[in-house]
Amino acid sequence: MEVLSLSIVPFLQIIQDSDLSTAFRESAYVWGIVDGVHVIGLCVFLGMLLFWELRLFNIGVRSASVSETWARLSPWIMVGFIIMVASGVILFCGEPVRYWASIFFRIKAVALVLAGLNAIAFHYSIGRRLVQWDTEPLPKSAHVVGIASITLWILIVFCGRLIAYNWFAPLY
Amino acid sequence: MLSFFQWIEATSLAMTINNSKYAFALIESFHLLSLAIIGGAVLVVDARLLGLGFRNQKVSEVAAAARPWLIGSLIGILLTGVLMFSSLAAGKYYYNPGFWWKMYFLAAAIVFTFAVRQPYVMRASAVSGTPRAAVIAIVSTGLYLGVAVFGRAIGFL
Repeated sequence: MEVLSLSIVPFLQIIQDSDLSTAFRESAYVWGIVDGVHVIGLCVFLGMLLFWELRLFNIGVRSASVSETWARLSPWIMVGFIIMVASGVILFCGEPVRYWASIFFRIKAVALVLAGLNAIAFHYSIGRRLVQWDTEPLPKSAHVVGIASITLWILIVFCGRLIAYNWFAPLY
Repeated sequence: MLSFFQWIEATSLAMTINNSKYAFALIESFHLLSLAIIGGAVLVVDARLLGLGFRNQKVSEVAAAARPWLIGSLIGILLTGVLMFSSLAAGKYYYNPGFWWKMYFLAAAIVFTFAVRQPYVMRASAVSGTPRAAVIAIVSTGLYLGVAVFGRAIGFL
């Protein structure tokens, strides 16, 4: 009798066994290029995000107001994010079963969700009227959000790098 | 040169890294984090030189805000880079064309940054929109991009 399974692994196995995924996985050059694009996307995203976070602590480019800083940096942050996510999804599809089984991938995925929730929470509370903070000092909660964001992104970068290492038994 | 690389790989520092299961991976992670910070510190100023980003602020103000992050992350990336290099100097990097091209681009990027770019952007009179500013921005970003591309290529060559 077949047991009903809600595991995602059979679905990931179908992706991994597809011709496209197999060809991508076996092409060192294409893989290397997508991996390189992923890192460059990270540089643009996280590097520019840093200057936004700094502004929340009143450092960085201080003569730019809070709302102006966001207006100047957000296009770079968004473009970097899109490059990072698109290349990341492609990389994931190249070896989904192995990634899913990696503890570092799982920590990275959870941290990404938390970073997303943190950003959403900011933009629907403190960030809703950014111009208000052009004249008033930012509330303490902005610092909490900033520290949470930087901490999560450092964790994401580290786990992303460590996915390459099979230190722990695969999780299935 | 090969004997120099062999000597580095035989130092106790390199052996400590090689004998640890986790050291290389952790050093790599800090290297990657430094890379992301360099990316922002370079790009925010080069963008400004091209009239993008903080275009209402003076070039010199953006450059001054980015400077500690540029220098700090360069120190971080060089330290972690030297550690990784030492652990596989003769065994891997000496024979890897990606490594050599990365070093050429890195040397060029550092010389250009401190001999040409920083002296220009830190000056209060620095402006964007001139051919000179555009050339400095494009060369600067291009050189660092070269370092990143060949750095990534080391793993595939």
